[in-house]
Amino acid sequence: MEKLTIEPTLNSPGVVLDPVEKLFEFSGESRPENVRNFYIPILEWLEQFAAGDTGPCTFKFNLEYFNSTSAKYILDIFKILHSIQESGTDVGVKWHYEEDDEDMYEVGLEMSRMSGIKFDYVKEEI
Amino acid sequence: MSKSATLVDFEGAITFGTIEILLNTLRDNQEFQKMNKPSKKRLYGIFVESIDNIFKYGAKLPGKSRNSSRTPKIIVMKQKDQYYVRVGNLVLNDDIGDLKFKLDRVNQLDFEALKSLYEEVINKESSASDTGAGLGLITMAMRTDSDIEYSFAPVDADHSFFEMKITLNG
Repeated sequence: MEKLTIEPTLNSPGVVLDPVEKLFEFSGESRPENVRNFYIPILEWLEQFAAGDTGPCTFKFNLEYFNSTSAKYILDIFKILHSIQESGTDVGVKWHYEEDDEDMYEVGLEMSRMSGIKFDYVKEEI
Repeated sequence: MSKSATLVDFEGAITFGTIEILLNTLRDNQEFQKMNKPSKKRLYGIFVESIDNIFKYGAKLPGKSRNSSRTPKIIVMKQKDQYYVRVGNLVLNDDIGDLKFKLDRVNQLDFEALKSLYEEVINKESSASDTGAGLGLITMAMRTDSDIEYSFAPVDADHSFFEMKITLNG
C-alpha cells in the first residue's frame, strides 16, 4: 500500500501513514478550512489499510490543538483502528500531551472510551 | 497590575484568512503570553470555536449595508482574573430557534451531562456534514464554569444580530 504523507500547515496537522516503515503519526494543530476535505482521504486510506493484513502497528497522536469539527473525524480514525484491533491485530495508540495540558489528556481518555480502543498516554515534559 | 486589558478587538468581515491574523494577534498579546499554559489553551480553543460558530451561523445581508450593528465582531478581554470572549454576527431569524435551543441546552447541563451530550452529538453528526455545530458550543461549555450569555437583536424582517459572551476563569 502506498504511504500517505501530508505536510503540516498552521491550521492542519502533519500526517505520516507509512506501512513500509511502520510509521503512523499525526502531529500539530487541526482546524483546517475544510475539515471534511482534509480528513476524508485519511479515513479512506485507513479503511483500505484496515482491509488488508496490517500486522501489529502503533499510531502516535501528538496534537497540540484540534477544533470540535476535527474531533468528529479524529474519533472516526480511532473507530477504524478499533476495527483493526477487533480483527485480532495488535494496534497501539500513543496519545501525547504536554504535562500541564490536562484538557488534552482528558480528551484522550474520552476518545479512547468512545472508540473502544486503549490508549497509552505519553506526558511530554516542557 | 492592570485590572482590565483588551487582547483582541476586531470588527469586520471574517474569512478563513482572517482567523490566522486574529490568532496571531492573540498569541502576540502580552496579557495572553502572561497566562498560564492551561488557561491559554482554553482561551485559544474558545476563540477558535467562537469564530467557527460565526462561519456556521453567519448570515450576510445582500446589498451594500455597512451598518456596524451588522458587521461581525470579536473581542477578547481580561477583567480582573477573568477572560471574556465576545462575538457578534448577523444570523438568519430562521436559525435563532436552533441556536437558542443549543445554547440553553449547554447552559443547563453540568460537566458530566455535557460529556454525555458530547458523545451523543459526536456520534450522531454525520461525517458528511461540517455544519452540524452543537459540538463547538458543547466543547466551549465544558471548558468554562459560567453560562454562555447571549442575545439576539432584530435587524430586519429576516435577520438578527447575535451576540454571545463566554467567560473563562484565568
